[in-house]
Amino acid sequence: MASDPQPPGEGARIAAETDGELVARTLAGEQAAFGILVERYAASVRRVARAVLGDPDDADDAAQDALLAALVKLRQYDPRRPFGPWLMRIAANAATDRRRRRRVRRTEPLDRNVVAGGTLPDAETDRRVLGQRLRDALSQLPERRRVAVVLFDVEGYSHAEIGRVLGIPEGTVRSEVFHARRALRSLLADWREDGSG
Amino acid sequence: MNPELMPFDHRPDPALGAALRQALTAADDAAFVARVLARVARAPIAHWDVLASWARAGIAVAAVAALVAGFLVRRAVTNPTSLEDVLVAAAGPSARALVISSRPPDASVVLAAVEEP
Repeated sequence: MASDPQPPGEGARIAAETDGELVARTLAGEQAAFGILVERYAASVRRVARAVLGDPDDADDAAQDALLAALVKLRQYDPRRPFGPWLMRIAANAATDRRRRRRVRRTEPLDRNVVAGGTLPDAETDRRVLGQRLRDALSQLPERRRVAVVLFDVEGYSHAEIGRVLGIPEGTVRSEVFHARRALRSLLADWREDGSG
Repeated sequence: MNPELMPFDHRPDPALGAALRQALTAADDAAFVARVLARVARAPIAHWDVLASWARAGIAVAAVAALVAGFLVRRAVTNPTSLEDVLVAAAGPSARALVISSRPPDASVVLAAVEEP
């Protein structure tokens, strides 16, 4: 990711301006430039927040906190470094802060269609069941491990960048990703052996 | 899941990544973006910058004031002012003679010192 500061698959559809240019325009007072940054990174920030918090509403609140905090701290961003990891660090911290403030996590209600097994096509039902199981499995992992695997396998950041996001050595990131993958892959394998997938 | 990839592999796992992405991606990014930008519009960035610069200036002023106050307190502690100095400054040479004399003063002298302009 160091050579490409935009999250894979999502930056391309938005204007080709670099993150650094958008930051400069935002600091010059152009709110629209910040809007492009928000649009570019909204999905990633929401996913990271959800990996930490589980609950989608809490995650969206934390993601909003993170984006507003990024705006307030924008002068502290070093444009020589990629914007994504800087923002992800703020997002992970915002989600962690929110989780600490709310120790009792609400559980996400199961999708009624999944519970009833009912009206959805099989493939769609399978997809939702897998999603629910993955979220459950993620919630069993330590928080740092969750964020590490999401940033690596979903958002495409390098171990070094994730190390800067989480404030830990690169080797520790590798270890966290390793343990997270082992747990999640085992779940995926079981799910497929059950004939669900 | 790519069976060729070991858990310790340095490459992202596309299958696991796709499954996680699907599990964690929330619906309606556009509505979320609109919500964030509406929040930004209610607290424009310019105002925040101004507040932040105010805070920095306030901290600088408070630090200077604390240094000056510390210096004055320290000077007062290391060089205490005597009663004599105070009287000299306040009442002039007659009061000073009254204070440093070893003999008790005559009442007329005391009255004269008090009445002295």
